[in-house]
Amino acid sequence: MNKRISAVATAAVAALVMAGCASGDTGSSADEGTDITLWLNGGDTPDELREFLKKEYADQAGGTLTIEEQSWTDALAKLTTALPDAENTPDVVEIGNTWAPTFTYAGAFTDLTDMYEELGGDKLLPSFVEVGAVDGADYALPYYFGSRYMFYRKDVWSQAGVAAPTTLGEFNAAAAALASADRSGFYIGGEDWRNGVSWIFANGGELAVQEGDEWHSSLSDPATIKGLAQLQALFASASRAPVTESDSTPWVNLNNNESTGAPEAATIMAPGWAHWSIGDLAPDPEDSTTLVPTWNDATFGTFVLPGTDGGIAPVFAGGSNIAISAASEKQDAAKELMRIIFSEDYQTMLGENGLGPANLDYASSLGDDQFATALIESASTSKLTPAAPGWAAVEGSGLLEEFFGKVNGGGDIAALAKEYDAKIDELING
Amino acid sequence: MTAPATAPPASAAPPPPRDAAPSLERRRAIRGPYLLLLPAIGILLVGMGYPTVWQVVTSLQEFGLQQQFGRPAPFIGFENYAALATNAQFWGVVLKSIAFCLITAVVTLVVGIALALLMNAVARAPRLILQIALLLAWSMPVVAAMTVWIWLFDRRRGAVNYLLDAVPGIDMNRFNWLESPSTFFAVASIIVIWMSVPFVSFSTFAGLTQISGEVMEAAALDGASSWQRVRGIILPMIRPVIAIVFLLQIIWDLRVFTQITMLQDAGSKSGEFDLLGTFIYKLGTKSQDFGMASAVSILVLGITIALSWFYIRGLVKDDET
Repeated sequence: MNKRISAVATAAVAALVMAGCASGDTGSSADEGTDITLWLNGGDTPDELREFLKKEYADQAGGTLTIEEQSWTDALAKLTTALPDAENTPDVVEIGNTWAPTFTYAGAFTDLTDMYEELGGDKLLPSFVEVGAVDGADYALPYYFGSRYMFYRKDVWSQAGVAAPTTLGEFNAAAAALASADRSGFYIGGEDWRNGVSWIFANGGELAVQEGDEWHSSLSDPATIKGLAQLQALFASASRAPVTESDSTPWVNLNNNESTGAPEAATIMAPGWAHWSIGDLAPDPEDSTTLVPTWNDATFGTFVLPGTDGGIAPVFAGGSNIAISAASEKQDAAKELMRIIFSEDYQTMLGENGLGPANLDYASSLGDDQFATALIESASTSKLTPAAPGWAAVEGSGLLEEFFGKVNGGGDIAALAKEYDAKIDELING
Repeated sequence: MTAPATAPPASAAPPPPRDAAPSLERRRAIRGPYLLLLPAIGILLVGMGYPTVWQVVTSLQEFGLQQQFGRPAPFIGFENYAALATNAQFWGVVLKSIAFCLITAVVTLVVGIALALLMNAVARAPRLILQIALLLAWSMPVVAAMTVWIWLFDRRRGAVNYLLDAVPGIDMNRFNWLESPSTFFAVASIIVIWMSVPFVSFSTFAGLTQISGEVMEAAALDGASSWQRVRGIILPMIRPVIAIVFLLQIIWDLRVFTQITMLQDAGSKSGEFDLLGTFIYKLGTKSQDFGMASAVSILVLGITIALSWFYIRGLVKDDET
């Protein structure tokens, strides 16, 4: 019995000692260059681009670049805990453009003002540069941009005899006309504020406004309320999506449903890269258990959401910024990676993969197909969320999802707007 | 969550003085048990004491994202607690969490004990099948189990809607279980119960094996019905097991987090779908108000201790008698 206990104890001690060793520094490639880590969010950056970065970094700096992918839903929490910690921080991070102000104000990033000209200067997408700057110093620079436009089923629209809309009012009416018991004329989740906010912007409303140094939530603004009322009516008449659904994967509804052979949505709104997920479904030649979509111009089409008086409705500008963690101990190596990211080669590759390049000189790399045209057209009037210090907290709190869900659930817009203005005001100034 | 696990060593009491025992030996006998306790206390202090102290301190501060990045955190006394005391949403979440935890724990206990009695009553083969099935459910990783459960309750293709819809007269086509809080928490409760029943069953079954067959035989001879035997003999004899298992269930169900978060990912992250775990997570990590989140955590610790008071009091009583 005693022997057994001491054996267990020995094993436990050995385990502890080994665990201790494992966390120690085992790196010995210091002479070979510096190893750094890059955090990317979601699968937005294609593998081809990741391989390019790793290879270029090895060639130019001699070290190993480790790319770690964070899911969009967890990224905010992970950034909050990892960035301040020199031991665990990634050296270079991609950050959702709407979170950039919060982390920049908090002092999470390295001042890149002296690199700004070298990395592209005023050729870099101005609105994205602005959200990553404080008091004239640049911290987070644009990484890529996208914007949202409409994808629709040509067959469904023409069968119903609905003409292409030229104003927002016409779109709302068309969407309602296309809806049936088991099909959405326009599929939008009730909590999906990132798409829904277009109706606010189109009517001249804002989510928040700045007065002096203070930000205020402006949901109660008459223009915002007008947009929300349109959205509420649209959701009730045209969308069969759950009121609890947020910004998700609406494109699955535009493709034919496997069991019924018909689509469940006539129209959706999504970021440009969604077109890779839309099309005629056929078994994957490499794996017959899955279906892969192939875009078909005869069935699927795109258009840009029209504005209230024609033209283009402002949509939410999607995309990311990129920055160097201030806590990183490998600043020089991180700057080397930034140079690679902002190089012509990489910027062109972004464009070729449908991501709007940070440096607008290379925007032509997006090509001139309908997706590139719609992307550039919708991006021309797109708007960012407020550059308030506490905006990431507002997004993280889920209050906007909650608010849009309650509005689209048929709630009293004015009362809800007042309630959520107060809640958001508590967070928005950081 | 530290309190009940470390019951005071009753055996540490000094041995009754025998005739003039050498004092050195006696002192060593007294010191021994305390020395043995040291490692456990040390690990508890390092592992739990430090975070708890940090949490108490933070709960008295204004601590946001800027403090996380190194700015000094001002002490604001009990302001966070005062704000919570008047926060209707917080109290709503507290009540919801306690109701969820009690209902789930009681149902878990009833189902778990029933299965244990069944295990005790059936022959070897069915018992083994039952035990293996329970063991599989118990050892299934939470994320994998949750993924399957979410598929089962899927609005469009879920097996639950499909089967219910097949019953004539019931229209469950595309019924969204996760859309309203009542069905959302019903689903959450079912999942949590499914995950915790095996533990209750096995613990209870272990307790049942300790009941001597002679007692049961005597009762049967005296003409006690099987229900009378369960109520009058079995349950009182395994009462200590049931008490500790119930306590653990209450603690686990009060701080349930993974299941609720994953259901929220599939449904809605709105405030009405929050229990204490997700409420704290949202407040701290997502809205970056670490001060307030710490204050809520401390209050939850208080609630946990209050709810487990029945057990601690029972322990003390048992000790006295």
